[in-house]
Amino acid sequence: MILQIIVDMVGLGATYALLTIGIALLFGILGLMNFAYGEIIMIGAFAMYLFKDYPWFVGAVAAVVFAVVISVLTERLAFRPLRNADPVTLMIASFAVSLALQSVMRMTVLPRTQGVPPQPFLTESMIVFGIRVTVLQIVTLVLCGVLLGGLALLMKKTPLGVQLRASAENFQVAKSLGVKGSFVIMSAFAIAGVMAAASGIILVARQGAVSAEMGLTPLLIGIVGAVVGGMSNLKGAALGGLLLGMGTVLLEATLPTDLIAFRDAFLYSAVMVVLVIRPQGLLSGTKVRTS
Amino acid sequence: MTNSTRIRGLFETPVLLVAIVGLVALVALFGDPTITRVTVQALIAVVFVTGLSLFSGNSGVMSFGHVGFMAIGAYTTAYLTIPVNLKSSMFSDLPESLGFLATIHAPFPIAVLVGGLSAAALALVTAPIMARLGGLQAGIATLALLVIVFTVLNSWTDVTRGSSSMIGLPKATTIWWAAGIAALVIVIAWAYKKSRSGLQLQASREDYLAATASGIAVGRHRVFAWVLSSIPAGFAGALYAGYLTTFNSRTFFLSLTFSFIVMIVLGGYLSLSGAVIGALGVSVLQEILRRFQDGAFTGGNSLPAGIADLILAAVLLFVLVKAPLGLMGTRELRLFRKRSIGSAL
Repeated sequence: MILQIIVDMVGLGATYALLTIGIALLFGILGLMNFAYGEIIMIGAFAMYLFKDYPWFVGAVAAVVFAVVISVLTERLAFRPLRNADPVTLMIASFAVSLALQSVMRMTVLPRTQGVPPQPFLTESMIVFGIRVTVLQIVTLVLCGVLLGGLALLMKKTPLGVQLRASAENFQVAKSLGVKGSFVIMSAFAIAGVMAAASGIILVARQGAVSAEMGLTPLLIGIVGAVVGGMSNLKGAALGGLLLGMGTVLLEATLPTDLIAFRDAFLYSAVMVVLVIRPQGLLSGTKVRTS
Repeated sequence: MTNSTRIRGLFETPVLLVAIVGLVALVALFGDPTITRVTVQALIAVVFVTGLSLFSGNSGVMSFGHVGFMAIGAYTTAYLTIPVNLKSSMFSDLPESLGFLATIHAPFPIAVLVGGLSAAALALVTAPIMARLGGLQAGIATLALLVIVFTVLNSWTDVTRGSSSMIGLPKATTIWWAAGIAALVIVIAWAYKKSRSGLQLQASREDYLAATASGIAVGRHRVFAWVLSSIPAGFAGALYAGYLTTFNSRTFFLSLTFSFIVMIVLGGYLSLSGAVIGALGVSVLQEILRRFQDGAFTGGNSLPAGIADLILAAVLLFVLVKAPLGLMGTRELRLFRKRSIGSAL
């Protein structure tokens, strides 16, 4: 029983960590709290719907391509003209982008919720050491592990990673030392697109449906995780997401049934408390300006 | 500077804005029902956005949570004005401690007032948080507030009916109620803007460190503006409830927040005139877009749902890029041009 909960906790924690990273990456470099991120996830999920009759990996590849293209496009069309705007203006702009993407999808290809039959192999489950593990959980874990590990390698070992980290530290100085600002920002959006696509793939398999509004819940989760973990620090954000996912499973397992519906209210109250007590995030060491 | 120009400078803008609100209400009197409908909606938006600008304009902190206050005002109005016999069948599962909700009844004006005060009560509870936060953190905290209010309203179905609708509210919001409260809120917002507390808050908006160094208790003024601005939001909710006569938890969430954000950004969030003009302008724009979407300008062929939202989002992005301070910037409406720098205040 306890082992089962732990497995669920890690599974959801990894999923949430992925969501959080996508938000935190853009925030660290641009100061952008990207509300359109949920819609990028939705685009990825939509690709899975579009290619639902093809083998699973075709849909997955398409999801990545779609999400990366749209993510980079939003940067080019909406966020680049606002590069020097303050964080709140950027946040409002991302609201607008989010609504625009939702509307376009609703107008064209997704006027209503569409079912995506789950891939048969994902729903199979097996018993390992007396606990039930679905293939989906394993795929989730592997996908999250590979992506998070890959991102860590990218940030640590490659020139692009060094440039990304330098830009996050101080964009102006990085630029004057020869970092190509536009390229770095576009790569950040592309990486965020990959993360979003992975989240979309997992989400579709979990929910079995896509709709224009489906991005909202994962978006809010990502923001909460990022705030709790520390917004400008990727490691902190990932840990924050992990903790949030584990906390969610734990709350669901321990809260009395009539309070489960209010889970989000508890979570967001916790966010407000964290913002007041540690505006830099629970796990982040650096101090941020609060006003 | 003579005394008369100073007095004129002090009263010109609110008088002009109230006159605009009065004119809009008059237009509705002589218009057909559709125009009346749009006008009432626009005036309710004026009430809300003016209240929001009372906080955001003076403090420079954007709030995404005021729609939560609006929801409080609306639900309060529902409890107070739905006929008692209907209520007893609507809320059969009320918890013991809240049983009084099924029996209380009050006329609409009282309901509006109580709606505003209930919103203020929630604002007071969250005030310590707002006093400590600024910038993006405040934005996220206010958004968290909105989500909390929504989650509670949506999930506490025994009391709020959740996503099934509140029904049976009397249609009490007339054009005069909307215009009267809009005028009142404009006057209050202007008075606050020119008050000692308002000016100190504006100083903290321009330069937080300099303001604190000059001995301004920024937190205290933020708290005052936060609570004061929640009252118009509560009023707006009460008026909106009395106008819609039926609503549910989904009514007061992100899409409504988004339209108010468009209004305040488009008009210019630093200017009270901007808030009023933005609220009126965007309300009209939304109605035009709705008709456009329904096919009024394309020969009756309705366009795919969502195009109105898309255009609104595009307008907002355009304004953010081209004029981040909105149409009005920091200016206010005046009949006479400023004579000297001294009369600018």
